[in-house]
Amino acid sequence: MNPRERFQAVVNHREPDRVPIDWGRHVGSIHRKGYARLAEYLGDPDLKNRDVVLDRMVQNVVLDEKLLQRFNVDFRWISPHWIGVREVAGQDAYIDMWGITWTYMLNAYSLTNSPLKSITTLDELERHPWPDPYDPAIFIGLREVARHWHENSEYVVVADSIKGGLLTKALQIRGYESFFADLAINQPFAEALLDKLLWLYKEMWTAYLKEVGPYVQMVYFTDDIGAQNSMMISPDTFRALIKPRLKNLIDHIKGLADVKFMYHTDGSVAPVLGDIADMGVDILNPIQTSAMGMDTYRMKETYGDRLVFHGAIDVQQMLPFSTPEQVRYDVAKRIWDLGRGGGYILSSCHDVGEDVAPENVVAMFDAARELGEYPLRLENVLKPEDLRPAAVAEEAPQKSSAHRARPRR
Amino acid sequence: MTERREELLDALYEHTLNGEAEPVVALTNEALALGIPAVSILFDALIPALEEVGRLFEEGTYFVPEMIISAKAMRAAMIILQPLIAQTGAKPLGVFVMGTVKGDIHDIGKDLCNIMLEGAGFKVIDLGVNVAPEAFAEAIRTHQPDAVGMSAFLTTTMPMFKSNIEYLSGLGLRSQTLIYVGGAPVTAAYAEKVGADGYAPNGSALVRDLKARLNLAV
Repeated sequence: MNPRERFQAVVNHREPDRVPIDWGRHVGSIHRKGYARLAEYLGDPDLKNRDVVLDRMVQNVVLDEKLLQRFNVDFRWISPHWIGVREVAGQDAYIDMWGITWTYMLNAYSLTNSPLKSITTLDELERHPWPDPYDPAIFIGLREVARHWHENSEYVVVADSIKGGLLTKALQIRGYESFFADLAINQPFAEALLDKLLWLYKEMWTAYLKEVGPYVQMVYFTDDIGAQNSMMISPDTFRALIKPRLKNLIDHIKGLADVKFMYHTDGSVAPVLGDIADMGVDILNPIQTSAMGMDTYRMKETYGDRLVFHGAIDVQQMLPFSTPEQVRYDVAKRIWDLGRGGGYILSSCHDVGEDVAPENVVAMFDAARELGEYPLRLENVLKPEDLRPAAVAEEAPQKSSAHRARPRR
Repeated sequence: MTERREELLDALYEHTLNGEAEPVVALTNEALALGIPAVSILFDALIPALEEVGRLFEEGTYFVPEMIISAKAMRAAMIILQPLIAQTGAKPLGVFVMGTVKGDIHDIGKDLCNIMLEGAGFKVIDLGVNVAPEAFAEAIRTHQPDAVGMSAFLTTTMPMFKSNIEYLSGLGLRSQTLIYVGGAPVTAAYAEKVGADGYAPNGSALVRDLKARLNLAV
């Protein structure tokens, strides 16, 4: 199978010849310092792009084509340009097209100012200098790149996200505490901000897919609704305020081009996997296995017929703190858990940090290629308890329907 | 009076739980006017409400937005109550210095812990984000805290726990206080490895652990 045939098998929940491998997108590449270490480890002085930053905020790089081939990567990514970026005088900091300030710290840029944090009225919301969704500079030249890959290769061509999502962007632009409070006690304002962002994204995706739509097989939308131990917002809030708008966006995008939709959310999101499938998401990324409740075996059992899983190779606990042998075992486990019958695309679940040993990066991709062939033959690799995990008893409902009364002294 | 007192405290508890700042302020004023002591409003209504918020968060009924609005409601009442409580000479349960480590500016996890600590009656000295080892040392000297909390959101900033603890040891300050570490990628095993005294996955667990170590009623 070529990469596109492999992808088609996977997204149609059939077994491909091997598990497809992905790397090199804007939330799924490697930090420039890690890239330098990797190049040194591979002993390849010709490895290019060490200083070609893909996403300024996280300081990851555009991967050299040679490396993508070395790691058997099946995807080639098309990334929108950043526009309207202003430097902050006297600091290593910039203001992005949304008006959000990012300041360099340690090894990447962190959010240091949210432009709408103090406003109180819908008029002020409207008066914010919003980015121009029709600015051709965002997508200039992308048609040629996408067409090149489409016509001259068999790789899966993907339209990378216009950076930021719906909830994520609202939190960044309004400030986390302010927008969390809006969601709870100022819903008209929260909805107005979400609607504004939804409108901008829809217009931008219209312009984007006008350029690359005929050449791409998948689009990527990066949001975040999960935190480490729970969702950021309740499933009810997600269903009431976020889900209908994401469905609206997905319907819009799928009406513009024949593409599969990949939705990104880090963190613990198990309670809404069914909702995510309902919205029209075909592929869920990145399956953060280090977050609470993200049990890959169970996830596949329950939602494997509705969702394709992408990612699952953890960059938070597994890759930084494992030996190459442990990395190989984890890759085998994720292939087994998520890839039975197809339906899994393997990738690092986020950018690989500079704290990951290059040996582990190589171990991940080599194991993916070696162990990902169908029919899966992992009986001699995985322990019996990982091949057939004991059925987990359905969680007894622990929640009280109401809160407790005030204790009396 | 007793009946009305209980009604008012119940209402304060309910509205704080629901994150409704306006009625909380109105009820606080009404309770004070009726002669209910500020300390009673705090310990019989507001603190139990925040404890319940923490419990609901841990069991997965409440999420960050609900926790934030409850904290805002309590803070609105505390603006009125704080000066009155200070007059009585009542002491906080303890003093907690909190900060996100150098190189890291993530504040949500730290702020949620502060909410639960203050909600339990501790005085919190929040050093903010991107806190240098020297600033932790200075705060220990100045505030003589019962405990210091260090937060990190990134695997790349977690090593600052060890650096900070070694720095404090070098100055002879390490033994003067408990040190807690926490944040998304942090585990109990990691906390032990870097020489911290404690770890908690959330604010409620932090309060429970801290109260136990300080021999306060849980």
